[in-house]
Amino acid sequence: MDDVLLSVSDFVALTNQTLEYAFPIVQVQGEVTEFKIAQGKWVRFKIKDAGAVINCFMTMFQMRVLLEDGMKVIVTAQPKLDGRWGTFTLNVRAVKPVGEGSIKKGFELLKAKLEKEGLFAVERKRSLPRVPKRVAVITSTESAAYADFIKIINKRWGGLDIEVAHTQVQGVPAPDQMIRAIRYFNSLEVLPEVLVIIRGGGSAEDLSTFNDEPLVRAIAESRIPTLVGVGHEVDHTLADMISDVRAATPTDAAQILVPDRQEIIRGARAQASSIGYLLTQAIDNYSRQTKDNLNAAFSRIQEKLDGTFEQLGVLRVAVSQLNPENVLKRGYALLRGEQTVGAKLEIETATNIITTEVQDVRSK
Amino acid sequence: MSGASKSVQEKLTDLSELVGWFQGASFKLETALDKFKEAEALAEEIEKDLTKLKNDIKIVKKRFDSEV
Repeated sequence: MDDVLLSVSDFVALTNQTLEYAFPIVQVQGEVTEFKIAQGKWVRFKIKDAGAVINCFMTMFQMRVLLEDGMKVIVTAQPKLDGRWGTFTLNVRAVKPVGEGSIKKGFELLKAKLEKEGLFAVERKRSLPRVPKRVAVITSTESAAYADFIKIINKRWGGLDIEVAHTQVQGVPAPDQMIRAIRYFNSLEVLPEVLVIIRGGGSAEDLSTFNDEPLVRAIAESRIPTLVGVGHEVDHTLADMISDVRAATPTDAAQILVPDRQEIIRGARAQASSIGYLLTQAIDNYSRQTKDNLNAAFSRIQEKLDGTFEQLGVLRVAVSQLNPENVLKRGYALLRGEQTVGAKLEIETATNIITTEVQDVRSK
Repeated sequence: MSGASKSVQEKLTDLSELVGWFQGASFKLETALDKFKEAEALAEEIEKDLTKLKNDIKIVKKRFDSEV
């Protein structure tokens, strides 16, 4: 092309055309430097390594994790020669931190931002129904985590209507897929009672999907109460921190979601037994009370009887003293018959009955 | 109080109410035996219901890998 004379604009256009053909999309890894946000909309920074540095440009809308100078990132971008400024720039479509330190930094920056907005506040947390009927699940149906979750749910409880949205749970497309699934469930005429998002363990990079800002915000905005269980117990993602209920793992999510039917059966049996015990106790109380009442009545009757017998004894003594037999025993005699001369009289002593005749009657 | 049309949750509530009745002021020995039998029947129904209940799992047909 030695003999071709191009205008600057034509050269820039030709270069961009060649770049578009040769490198429509590139992924470049480097360290962020000179990070700036202009007017809250435009993001400019550079990425560098030991030997080179390159300009990067993107919109705030495309930035799903917060960046800071010094973070290691991979940018997915379209290389372009900017005709207006004569600079070579990567027009960034997506950027993600790489390496444990940078992922952690991105996590901390976004966490601080969301915390400032009050999105982690305890007052925002909604409780889940004790036994939900309609449950929505977002996960990869091909994952072991999903298989475990369903196995435990089936073992623990029954009668649930579970709708599962299959999405990717790692990689660049995953956050948007999950966001679409969240919106789908939130747009249903009859809302599920709980929205569960689960994913098994993985590397910090795999799990960083759940630190994606739009995804985290979609979880926070869900009209359906959310239960998120991602990774292992030690893993913390912004998605599970912002959810209404955090589960340590997908298995834990299943255990939180529904009670254990065996425990409920044991509880129902225990309640019926406790009623039996209460009934026995009530019967015992009534018996004891009745027995006490009867004893009290018997005691009262006994007291009355004792009193009466005592009175009777006194009377008996009195009567006994009045008995004529006793008088005869003391030497007196009982005289029967008319007191006229010649009449027959009968004299009764303690031991004999004597018949005699009246010979004389005188006044005393 | 019990009935085939009631959900497990409703039956559990009924059972708790029965326990409450036994512990409360409305307790009467005359009706207690019937209430106890009712509670036993409820506990059995709950066990049967919970043992036979299966979950209905549906995979959403809609694809989420694109906006359309």
